Amino acid sequence: MSSTSLPPAAYAASLASFPLMTVHRLLALLRHHPPAEAYEVAMGRVAPRQGSLIERVLREATVRDAWALGSRLRPPDEMWQRCTHLGLEVTVIGDPDHPRLLALDPLPPPVLFTRGDRSLLGGRRAALVGTRNATAVGRTLALRLGEGLAASDVHVVSGLARGIDGHAHTGAIAGASSGSGRPIAVVASGLDVVYPREHRALWAAVAQTGLLLSEWPPGADPLPHRFPLRNRLIAALSEVVVVVESRERGGSLVTASLAAERGIQVMAVPGSATNRAALGVNGLLRDGSAPVLGVEDVLVALSLDHRRAESLFVDQRVRPQGGDLDCYRVCDERASTVGMVAERTGRPLLDVAMSLARLELGGWLAHSDGWFERTGSPLA
Amino acid sequence: MIAAIESATLLGVTGQPVTVEVHVGQGLPVFQIVGLPDEACRESRDRVRAAVLSSLLPWPNQRITVNLAPSGVRKGGAGLDLAIAIGVLVAAGHIEQAAVEQLVVVGELGLDGSLRPFPGVAPMIACRPDRIAVVPERCWHEATAVSMGQVRCASSLNVVVNALTGGRWPDPPPSTVLPDEVPPPDLADVRGQLAARFGLEVAAAGGHHVLMVGPPGSGKTMLAQRLVGLLPMLDPATALEATMVHSAAGVTLPSSGVVRLPPFRAPHHSSSMVAIVGGGSHSLRPGEISLAHGGALFLDELGEFAPSVLDAMRQPLEEGVIRVARSNVHATLPARFLLVGATNPCPCGGGAPGSCECDETSRMKYLRRLSGPFMDRFDLRVGVERTAVDDLITIGGGESTGQVRERVTAARAIALERSGVLNAALGPSTLDRWAPLSAAATARLRAELELDRLTGRGLHRIRRVARTIADLQGAGDLVEDEHVVLALQLRVRLRRSARLDAA
Repeated sequence: MSSTSLPPAAYAASLASFPLMTVHRLLALLRHHPPAEAYEVAMGRVAPRQGSLIERVLREATVRDAWALGSRLRPPDEMWQRCTHLGLEVTVIGDPDHPRLLALDPLPPPVLFTRGDRSLLGGRRAALVGTRNATAVGRTLALRLGEGLAASDVHVVSGLARGIDGHAHTGAIAGASSGSGRPIAVVASGLDVVYPREHRALWAAVAQTGLLLSEWPPGADPLPHRFPLRNRLIAALSEVVVVVESRERGGSLVTASLAAERGIQVMAVPGSATNRAALGVNGLLRDGSAPVLGVEDVLVALSLDHRRAESLFVDQRVRPQGGDLDCYRVCDERASTVGMVAERTGRPLLDVAMSLARLELGGWLAHSDGWFERTGSPLA
Repeated sequence: MIAAIESATLLGVTGQPVTVEVHVGQGLPVFQIVGLPDEACRESRDRVRAAVLSSLLPWPNQRITVNLAPSGVRKGGAGLDLAIAIGVLVAAGHIEQAAVEQLVVVGELGLDGSLRPFPGVAPMIACRPDRIAVVPERCWHEATAVSMGQVRCASSLNVVVNALTGGRWPDPPPSTVLPDEVPPPDLADVRGQLAARFGLEVAAAGGHHVLMVGPPGSGKTMLAQRLVGLLPMLDPATALEATMVHSAAGVTLPSSGVVRLPPFRAPHHSSSMVAIVGGGSHSLRPGEISLAHGGALFLDELGEFAPSVLDAMRQPLEEGVIRVARSNVHATLPARFLLVGATNPCPCGGGAPGSCECDETSRMKYLRRLSGPFMDRFDLRVGVERTAVDDLITIGGGESTGQVRERVTAARAIALERSGVLNAALGPSTLDRWAPLSAAATARLRAELELDRLTGRGLHRIRRVARTIADLQGAGDLVEDEHVVLALQLRVRLRRSARLDAA
């Protein structure tokens, strides 16, 4: 096969899979060279830019050997074949379709592999993160928040880990049926390496309804150092980060501090002071994070609180007709009992009782201790 | 000489046979009564002597001993006067013993020899159905109403002696001697108050105890007085029981001698426990709840009654009788009545939402005087509101008592034919059988329960009331949604504690 037919992203994907290839090194390569040229630089066939990081690391034999090995193990054509087979979309920093949200990050992802709908990144996004060792209360809450946010048209960003992350996404998938919010998952392995394995179905569901995202090429294992890097992408993709449950130290607190560094609002769900799984969130609250007691709090933080929106204030009550209307008029004038309404309208008690029950059910009258009063805005 | 005259005394509402034995013999002229007479009975000594002398009859100047047998039973009242007087005359030989063999003699004597009416003639006569009764003339109707046998009456001792010594018994008095029965006031007088009127109709039709809740001056008393007019005439057995009670309590009986109209009793809230439930040391006088037997007992300002008095009514409300016991006597008095309570919703009287001026504490304190178990007896809690001034003028009177009573009677007949009891007597276990709910009605009640606007107890009350409403409407066996809705809307909730005390 001829190397000229390969897209530039294929070289970047191949480079990303090299051993000893860090985010910083790949970033340096791809910032200064187009992908195909960067590949040649890494192979030592083209001189790196003077005084760059790459020039320094290429002086080390171990790096040169590792990268040479990488080019043999995962050549660009093979890598590209794998990406297309998995249906991945690959963008490289500098590409016009590389998400600007991430390109402008202090540490942008040099390459991005995605599966699903990339346009979701244009919507409203909130991260729901938390401990893997969540309590039942925390899991339920994550589920409810995820569902509520998705139902309120907010995308739910998380890490697809065990515990809170997984439940947040499960909730978001459920909520996607009643709103335009979708799950967005950032993972710390290649998109064909499912971790944790019990989340296989959830991965597929997220890719189906939302967006799966990784800066690691197919085949990359979920190595420990990749998780904090994954967390920076979660923070960078979100407008607000909500920590549902977290121990005194944990990945979600890393996400929270990464978000804080980027000026992204961090919110936390309060928990019991004696609950270990809530120590981290309570610490965040003590340090000044805003508390989250429900979906509304997150929506307010996103300025998405539409409860007072003009468009919602449409009287949806069904206008009373006939005898019901007469009964309504009596109670509208002054609070009355069923007997009084019957006297005023001259209708039989049983009819009046049914009218009043319908008006109460319809939201026109309120019933308390035998009295019926007008409720809500008056009938025009 | 010895004489024995049959008479009777009263215990509760039943007569107890008493034999008056008189011995006239040698000795200083002394007149003694033995055999546990009470004060009024011992004093009959002086009344009897004066009456005999005033009647120009011979008084034996010998030692006279009167024994009231059985000697172990306390005898009270003045009803034995006539029997003692006749006994003395028989023992003195003025009247043949044979002339009094078949008689039972009761009556109180005046000093001039006249015979006076006294409480308890009816039960006393009823306990000796085998004998010819001799009663004061003014007790004739009462006595004939209950007696199985013959009744003779007389206006004075002379008349009795004359009859016993070969003369004729006088003719019974015409029935116009006593004031006629006054029908209760008519419902047509009530203006407006449609809901409360309907509440009374339901109460009368289903036998539901009803609590009227409303501010002062809203017409609670006026309505309560008209409730008895809706009740059917007493059936013969109840009428007899009521007559006995009224007679024993000394309440003026109607001219016919029998209580046929359901009685209405409205004791004041200062009444003592004994006055309400009955009792007293010896005679165990019937109380207001027995006097209301077959009719209605109206307790105005329910919260002002002593809590012990109200709680004492719980057992008779359940069983229809009150068992009064003292150290040596006990009696079972009938007490099946419709309880009508009236109370303000709070100390200030309340009214439309927002018009109450009471603070939460005083309101709860006011209602907490009524014990929960007692309040549970009221199936119906009807709100009575002041009729607006312009309504008082524009709205005409409603239906008359007669019109409403027709519906009530029909509904009672339906209920009795269906289950054998009035709807108020339907328990939780029998409700499903006799008051099945339509699907819509079930859904409605379920929603009310889920909204915490109805408690389990309240549910049964609503179902009973809805059953009666359905009967009044002539609906079928199924209780429909509309009946449940009206039952729910008629009730008034009383907040007796911080938590909602759903009706």
